[in-house]
Amino acid sequence: MTQRAPATSGIPLAEIIGEAFANLRVQGRRSALALLGILIGTASIVALLNIGHIAQLETLKLFRHLGVDTVQLQATPTGEMPPGFDPDVVAQLPARDPDVLRAVPIITGRASISAGRQTTDAGIVGMPPAFAATVGLAPRLGRLFRPIDNCSPVALVGKGTAEKLSAPGAELLPGAAIIVGNYGFTVIGILMPTALEAINPSDYNESVIVPLACSRRVVAGGVPNIVLAKLRPTADPDIVGQRLSAMLANPRSAIQVISARTYIKTMNAQKAVHSRMLAAVGAISLLVGGIGVMNVMLMGVMERRREIGLRAAIGATPRDLRTMFIVESATLAVAGGLFGALLGLLATYFVARSSGWTFSIAYYVLPLGTGVAGLVGLIFGLYPAITASRLKPIEALRAE
Amino acid sequence: MLRLKEVEKAYGVAANPIPVLKGISFSIENGSFCAILGPSGSGKSTLLNIIGLLDHPDRGEVLLGDNAVNFASAEETARLRNRLLGFVFQSFQLLPRLRAWENVALPLLYRGIPKADRRPKALALLDRVGLGHRADHLPSELSGGQCQRVALARALIGDPQLILADEPTGSLDSGTSLEMMDLLKDLSRRLAVTIVMVTHDRQLAERCDRRIELLDGQVIADTVAM
Repeated sequence: MTQRAPATSGIPLAEIIGEAFANLRVQGRRSALALLGILIGTASIVALLNIGHIAQLETLKLFRHLGVDTVQLQATPTGEMPPGFDPDVVAQLPARDPDVLRAVPIITGRASISAGRQTTDAGIVGMPPAFAATVGLAPRLGRLFRPIDNCSPVALVGKGTAEKLSAPGAELLPGAAIIVGNYGFTVIGILMPTALEAINPSDYNESVIVPLACSRRVVAGGVPNIVLAKLRPTADPDIVGQRLSAMLANPRSAIQVISARTYIKTMNAQKAVHSRMLAAVGAISLLVGGIGVMNVMLMGVMERRREIGLRAAIGATPRDLRTMFIVESATLAVAGGLFGALLGLLATYFVARSSGWTFSIAYYVLPLGTGVAGLVGLIFGLYPAITASRLKPIEALRAE
Repeated sequence: MLRLKEVEKAYGVAANPIPVLKGISFSIENGSFCAILGPSGSGKSTLLNIIGLLDHPDRGEVLLGDNAVNFASAEETARLRNRLLGFVFQSFQLLPRLRAWENVALPLLYRGIPKADRRPKALALLDRVGLGHRADHLPSELSGGQCQRVALARALIGDPQLILADEPTGSLDSGTSLEMMDLLKDLSRRLAVTIVMVTHDRQLAERCDRRIELLDGQVIADTVAM
């Protein structure tokens, strides 16, 4: 057995790595083939992590305006009577439940809308005037509500609805009069297109938004049917949701609770299936890649027995020889890991594009993927390296 | 000085050992050019491997200078090979992808000498063996005789006390062989380095200062030339 003697030779690592590259170049195509497994393994792991990263960002986008600490309570009818919540109870929610920071009543419904000769059917959303900016509505033309607008018959028109209400050559513009239900409203703003968020009460693009107080006239029932409650970040949305649901309960309505967290949890559970599959592919590829590296290195050791013998004769210690081969396999694996990481990012790019997601790179995946590949190279390079260091120099030198 | 004391070596399984060296003892003075002669199977290669610290004896001692070699430590024997010994092999054993000077400089790598310092030293050694103009050639671009000179320069670069040559002319034609012999002899004189050459060629052995003849693992003759 060799002893753990103090380092007798101080070959600089840079030179060892330089030699490793030269040796790998000589082995050429065979090295490249060994890389393939490592490449695919790293690529799937990098893709896995980066897709996870992008999906996370996409999920957060769904809650960009309302935040992940929001619970939506929605009343659905139990019978003939229109469902809804008592506005006074809604107003008292923050006072009655310490976990609720704010509770916003919203009325949604549908109505026939006409402007001039154009008529369409659109969603009606009644919300407190100040809430329009909070949910991310922005005017393309005109303006949003002002506080004073709460009781005025003014309306914001979503992009899609505005198009349907525009006649050729007569675009719907702020200032136009529209009929919602049987009531006249003045258009004060045409909205920019808004992205659909997870707990929006309605698709704003296909709606007309009016101040909450006015919406009572045009929507059946005239009471809020949706409450958006902003919670303390530490609160458990499921528990608070049940509490609020109990406070708001009434015989006309069945109450559905949707929390952002629950939504994310469901999405994550779906994602986990994909993740596990990709992780398995990655792990198996890395394993196969590692065995490939070991194979190439063992072949290299056998073919280079004379070189090993010579190096031993001129003073390479067993440790020098081990280091040489381990650095070679690690270099091989790291090279594969680098290319694999790039390939993985490329794959993510196409996945993101085809899903309509915004591509972004979680930069930690690059060193991580490459590092894992290098580690595989180290582990699987160990056996060939030990084999090399145990060769008998004389027998090695005589090998043909 | 190189000294062997009752060196024994056997191959084969422990239960049925085949003795190869049966108690070899001799000493070789510094600066001498000594041939170890014997037919194949006489144990001369085994002896060379033990002197070269590439194999360990079963019994007995090898002394380099005043110190007995500790064969138990592979790191220690590697260090001694690097510092005190130089090897010349029948088949040159140059690394094909390295240029002549890089082959010559290889032993210095294992001393941790930086590349910038290795090159001038290698070039000086190549000059000494008459190949200064071939420093940047690959071994495949050199003739057999030139390869063996490169190998000799490699053996010399570490300023060894002892050069071990295993049939150094075995792959060379007779003219080149004689040139190689003259070169070895000249170097041993000028550098005061001990050369031990293993050969089965009696005529080459005649040209050495001393001949140790082996047969069946024993020294049967030890002749000093006039």
